[in-house]
Amino acid sequence: MKGSFRQSMKWLHTWVGLVVGWILVFMFITGTAGYFDDEITRWMEPERPLTATHIDKSKLLDISQHYLETHVKNAKEWRVILPNSRDANLKVMWQEQPEEGKRFGKFSTKVLDTDTDTGLAIDNLRETAGGRTLYRMHYRLHYMPSIVAYWIVGFCTMLMLIAVITGVIFHKKIFSDFFTFRAKKGLIGWLDIHNVLSVTAIPFHFMITYSGLIFFLITYMILSVNIGITETQKDKYFNEVFPRTVEVEKSDDYQPLASLSDMYAKSHKYWQEDTLAYVKVEYPLDKNARVKFTRWNTDLTYNPDDELFFSGETGKLLNIAAKQVTMSGQIHRGFISLHEGLFASPMVRWLYLIIGLMGTGMIASGLILWTTKRKPKQMKNTNGPDFGYRLVEQLNIGTIVGFPIAVAMYFWANRLLPVEMENRAEWEIHCLFISWALLLIYPAFRSGLVAWFEQLKIAAFVFCFIPVLNFITTDKHLGISLPLRDWNYAGFDLVMLVIGVAFAFTAYKVKKHIPVAQKSHAKLTKNDIENKVTDETISTLAATKETS
Amino acid sequence: MFNLITTRKFTKFYFTNPRWWVFSRVMAAIFAGYALATTSSLFLGQLLLQSMGEYQAFHIGLLLSFLIYSCGAMWVFSVSTAKKAWGGLISLNLIFMALTWLLMQVNS
Repeated sequence: MKGSFRQSMKWLHTWVGLVVGWILVFMFITGTAGYFDDEITRWMEPERPLTATHIDKSKLLDISQHYLETHVKNAKEWRVILPNSRDANLKVMWQEQPEEGKRFGKFSTKVLDTDTDTGLAIDNLRETAGGRTLYRMHYRLHYMPSIVAYWIVGFCTMLMLIAVITGVIFHKKIFSDFFTFRAKKGLIGWLDIHNVLSVTAIPFHFMITYSGLIFFLITYMILSVNIGITETQKDKYFNEVFPRTVEVEKSDDYQPLASLSDMYAKSHKYWQEDTLAYVKVEYPLDKNARVKFTRWNTDLTYNPDDELFFSGETGKLLNIAAKQVTMSGQIHRGFISLHEGLFASPMVRWLYLIIGLMGTGMIASGLILWTTKRKPKQMKNTNGPDFGYRLVEQLNIGTIVGFPIAVAMYFWANRLLPVEMENRAEWEIHCLFISWALLLIYPAFRSGLVAWFEQLKIAAFVFCFIPVLNFITTDKHLGISLPLRDWNYAGFDLVMLVIGVAFAFTAYKVKKHIPVAQKSHAKLTKNDIENKVTDETISTLAATKETS
Repeated sequence: MFNLITTRKFTKFYFTNPRWWVFSRVMAAIFAGYALATTSSLFLGQLLLQSMGEYQAFHIGLLLSFLIYSCGAMWVFSVSTAKKAWGGLISLNLIFMALTWLLMQVNS
């Protein structure tokens, strides 16, 4: 289309990147935050007790069992999620009996107080959308039906996949550029930043984009599915690709559940290390109840040894056939595991965060590159830069700096909205989107660099202030969480502080580039200059008259 | 007469504008590309049927469809004219359909 193949690919790379760049920035930031969704939720529920990791697991299982048996009698499923490196509280979840014709019932979660043996739920938790909703926006957006969101997200992801592939194709010196980072200003500087962020993490960028599409494989390739297999074949197909363990039949005869802590003792025979992650009870208090112990994944896809099954009636170990997985199913599962990173140890999780931020930086620098490249020509226009250029610049400022501020406002809302407020969780999200909308509009009234600088200043302030806000509004500030080494809770405050400082540093760097004339916020127009000239001439004329 | 001239001017003005050809290519990439992803996945499903089993073969076809979609879209923007892009994708679609049909006869 544009001369050589490589030139065409460059053109395509530029435009597919620009068209969906802002939504991709949104997806990358929310997705990166999603790697720490449990930790964020924990911070957003400050009423929870600090930590329960020091208590023996069999005691925690006793507490949970006691609570569930007393309070949740008619459930389809119970879950006990044990304290772990990501969430130091003991949690129980349950699923109510599904309504007629539905597969799943309503899910509820409670955090248990481990200080009492009876296990009381902590009931004064504030209503919050939490880290989970922030993460859900990553693929489900907000304010629209989920199917619409999936298609929008799919379209953006597809264009990103094309951008990744074309980027590799037109890039001549992929390895030498890896080692040449020229810390220069302007076009070359941004180009180098874009190259380094892209090239160093290219396997991740490819994996995350491709696996993102695979999540909704059936939704996106619906035409293929409808033509390729019949309605009756669909169940067989799903069972082969995503096999499930043989299901339990409900008997409707009451039977108290055998002790979970006894089963836990038995599990030690099979698992040398104490890595139990959660316990699931299917049809609790039923004669056919089945208990599943799951430990932390030891395999990227599926390891049958990670699961132990017990009979709920007798507490004996059951010999349940392992799921039959197929090769293509393994590939599918592998990509999804890599995308979600649920297997990740704390170290790897931090790596995910850093690469996620690099991905955000890659897209952001690409967007900035688009304007930097066109800036010299646009500035020569007699009527100033044209509409398209200004729109891109405005969206860049409003998204690259504006969206992080909006996320910070989401955390602010969590601390500042009245605890008894109705629809509180929904209003936290409204706060996020209202702030983002304002920050998208704001740059229209400012010249480019000034808007960058001012929004960066705001970002630095709102992030640095989060630990302070936490100090004012709760009794679990850094002075308490740090000595107790509650790293999840303290870590959130500290990370916010680091992000705030990073924004402050960037603001300082940007400030140096603002011309003096714009610093005083008085934009000198042609008219102003002419007026000034005439004023000066008049005064000099007057002066000469006086002397003569 | 007058009408004819203005219509001609109109068509000349709008349809010689290179933006229309870019738009045409975008449409080709999105829709003909999606069709290509679909037909190629069905083709792969039939091609691998004997060796992998029905459902796995079909699943592999689906997994690869996104890569084929990207290649198709990139190809649309690399050829010299939009007409070539449409022509190429449509004929590729037809070829895949024909091959799928042939393989279905062999497999059944």
